[in-house]
Amino acid sequence: MAFPKEVYSILEDIVGREYISADPVICEGYRAGPAGYECGLGYERVMTRVPGCVVMPRTTEEVQKIVKVCNRYKIPYVPYSTGFYGARSHPHVENALLIDLKRMNDLEIDEKHLYAVVGPGVIYSQLQEEAMKRGMYTVIGGGGSQCSAIANMIGDGWSPLSHRIGLPHRRILGAELVLPDGELLRLGSLALQDDPFWGEGIGPDLRGLLRGYTGHRGFLGIVTKMAIKLLPFQPEKLEPTGVSPNTALMLPEKRVKWINFTMPSFESIKRAMYEIAKAEIGAAVTRVPLFWRIIARAGSKEEFWELWSKENEETVNAFFVLRVLLIGFTSEKQLEYEERVLMDIVKELGGEPRRTRPTDESWFKNADSAGMWLMCGGYVSVDYVIETIEHATAQCKNFAELKRSYTPPLMPDYADPGWFQCFELGHQGYSEFLIYWDPDEDTTRVDHFYLETAKENIRKRFYTALLGSHQPLYLTGPAYGPNYHKWLLKIKKEFDPNFVCHPPFPLSHDFFVEQAEWMKPLKDWGSPNLNEILPKEIAALMKTSSQSKEK
Amino acid sequence: MPKRTVSLDVTNLENFVYDMSRCIKCKGCTWVDHIYMPGIKFSTRCPSATRYLFDSYGAYGKMRIGLALAEGRIQYNDNLLHILYACTLCGACDVGCKRNLDLEIELTLEALRVKAVKDGMAPLPQHRRVVQNIMAQHNSLGASPEKRRNWLPQEIEPSQKAEVLYFAGCSASYRNPEIAQATVKILDVAGVPFTLLEEEWCCGNILYSIGMIDEARKIAQRNIEEVRRKGAGILLTSCAECYRMWKVDYPKMLNIATADLGFKVLHLTEYVDELINKGLLKLTKPLSLRVTYHDACSLSRLSEPWIPWQGERGLWGVTSPPIPRRRGTNGVYEEPRRILQSIPGIEFVEMIRKRENAFCCGAGRGVKEAFPDFAAWAAEERLKEFKEVGAEVLVVACPWCKNNFSEVIKAKGEKIKVLDISEIIADSIATEVRGGK
Repeated sequence: MAFPKEVYSILEDIVGREYISADPVICEGYRAGPAGYECGLGYERVMTRVPGCVVMPRTTEEVQKIVKVCNRYKIPYVPYSTGFYGARSHPHVENALLIDLKRMNDLEIDEKHLYAVVGPGVIYSQLQEEAMKRGMYTVIGGGGSQCSAIANMIGDGWSPLSHRIGLPHRRILGAELVLPDGELLRLGSLALQDDPFWGEGIGPDLRGLLRGYTGHRGFLGIVTKMAIKLLPFQPEKLEPTGVSPNTALMLPEKRVKWINFTMPSFESIKRAMYEIAKAEIGAAVTRVPLFWRIIARAGSKEEFWELWSKENEETVNAFFVLRVLLIGFTSEKQLEYEERVLMDIVKELGGEPRRTRPTDESWFKNADSAGMWLMCGGYVSVDYVIETIEHATAQCKNFAELKRSYTPPLMPDYADPGWFQCFELGHQGYSEFLIYWDPDEDTTRVDHFYLETAKENIRKRFYTALLGSHQPLYLTGPAYGPNYHKWLLKIKKEFDPNFVCHPPFPLSHDFFVEQAEWMKPLKDWGSPNLNEILPKEIAALMKTSSQSKEK
Repeated sequence: MPKRTVSLDVTNLENFVYDMSRCIKCKGCTWVDHIYMPGIKFSTRCPSATRYLFDSYGAYGKMRIGLALAEGRIQYNDNLLHILYACTLCGACDVGCKRNLDLEIELTLEALRVKAVKDGMAPLPQHRRVVQNIMAQHNSLGASPEKRRNWLPQEIEPSQKAEVLYFAGCSASYRNPEIAQATVKILDVAGVPFTLLEEEWCCGNILYSIGMIDEARKIAQRNIEEVRRKGAGILLTSCAECYRMWKVDYPKMLNIATADLGFKVLHLTEYVDELINKGLLKLTKPLSLRVTYHDACSLSRLSEPWIPWQGERGLWGVTSPPIPRRRGTNGVYEEPRRILQSIPGIEFVEMIRKRENAFCCGAGRGVKEAFPDFAAWAAEERLKEFKEVGAEVLVVACPWCKNNFSEVIKAKGEKIKVLDISEIIADSIATEVRGGK
């Protein structure tokens, strides 16, 4: 089944010949996998499809027109900014239109009011450099410097720097959202005039439509413009040094400084986080797993495994390193003061400072999330929690235990609880649970583990940030809602009556479990009534898609 | 998963299935290293992805398309061939990927072209004339072989036998004699005897670049044999593309190490830097110029010596013995800069994208012959950067770059001066030519 010629022709009129293609080779270049975030797993293999057509609009108006055409002809479409979010940011039905937004790469900065207005084609490192040229900064989310700033702001968007600068949704100001039916929604002050300086309102704050908690993966429309709040930085330049692959930013030590501490225990790291937060110092406070230390030391995959093979449960669980970033935002004296306070706190808790390089490799400009794939080839963060420090650390320890029985195929990491940190000056704790596997191995148990973490959260009453689009909606919805799933589907139906915007989200994981035989033994929750939820055209497309995959 | 035997042999695409199947779309191949990210402008380093925009033109798209081709899931068509060949193989993607993932992107792209030839889909019609020229006339331009040495100034006579053998290459022999002439002037002034091949042939660059590896290998064997017969210890080039052929691609095709060639391969910039360090060459004549330098891909990020490798890949993709990775870290970056900065009166300014992040001029590896519009576009993009840094002279280290920039400048009626580094060096020498052997 080819992409409809009539629709192609209309879309071509909208964007111009050069910016559209339904050629199978061009479309193959947009395949989700076989590698990437969450790729190489059952979800990617079962659910993703090569698009039937790719279109590259330049303006919001073009996006609106494209979306209206899709609604008129019932063509499923998927917004796509960089494609880095792996399986879930790619089409899930045959012959979908992929709307590649990379040409929408305008960036303007309002220095007086400290914000940037960006299009979805602008990536974080571009934004960060432009901000830093003007004495400001932003947080490059853990997704990495290569992420579209908008896509990451409406998805995840946090990093260790969120200790000081806060969570991403607080920094979303005025924005433009092309709703699933093509109508334009202007949020915040843009609702009244053209200055996007303010994010809330007017009336009910609809920014929840943009991201929910960790994002809708584009099923509630396309953000075509966003004003992002920037924060004042210190005045010294962070100087790039080195030749690839060993590049880093040299830090002006009197203004910006990372310090690593060896701590006596897991508990003492947590305690330090509370005390640092209470003192309201630091720009980032995070626990460093031994695994990361080895990644940083290793010059290659082979060297990593050589070094890692020397570690064991004892060494992994006796590795307590706390990493703190200090920034003298206002003066050198601020940094001096914070360093003295920090040293007092750590000393009282029995910690010792370690020699720390005066460089930043990973968080200011180069959040190199891509390195997460080097060691094993397969990687995904199966869960992240933003709750209290206690809650976050308890959850990651619990998952570490659960992981034992799934290792292998998961990489042996000796029940390391992983990465945790504090956000917003200790008002929130964060943990992210990362898993790694070899995609050439049988990944059935990796798929199982991913789902088991959702069930474990429900069993143990842990909060999770991965609701909605990341787990079966009919598993998590009743547990966290109790009507969360129903609300989400009602919102979807209200804004996307034709269900053409990235179907079958938010039911994609439910679909996956239905279609993957190896997932069925785990299924002990209800199923959505698709005949009630999906319009018949989309239901038919889903059926065709699953049949074509079976072939 | 059992261990699999693999090698870096580009004649077998199977060797690179792992690399094609591990691309995660981080697009490190397209963006400038984020540490060096200059902001919203000049933020990419891949000409193909920047020009054609579809993901399919970035290495992430090419890896997916290549894998589909290897697995028989797609068929050749015009777009596929355009994607494969509208690419200068400039290595930006390769070093970008090796910043984090260590995938062999450059070799995969080369292997895909070799496969296209094997499958009868290439050479492209636009390349056939160049191929004929090389095969029949031993130069890519179709010029008369008898005229190959016409560039040689009368006052300079090469030795029959010498430690240094200067390989001028097709461009400097026919189209850019000023480069070859400047080069031998430098050698002469420094008192370095040099020799030439009795009958210099094209290095085979285009043949290898478009995937005609059997033909390119024969030329490699012949050329290497000729140099060995001459007994030279140093093969000197002033062309970055010839340099990479001799230093990297010849050993690659013959499955030997660069160190086993039997002679050293040096670019003029490396050799001049050495002569200056030894006090044998003094650049004393002031040149009052504000200059910037364009890193030629084949001299910079792609110039690390070749080390053949064959081994096994096992669990987690670990190779045994470990693949000796060429990440572009030790390219020829500093020598040309040191030379330029040592010339009195020269004010040296850097381009925004430099060293391993430099944006290719667009001419290399068969692009200018097949897609001149793309080559011109890439040069124009680079020239925008030149204007941004406010230099008077664009210094290059490869005749391909020089010609491509010069043609675009002429076509646009711009007043930008492009000089090969050999010309700048020769101009900064106060001493007269000795004319001796």
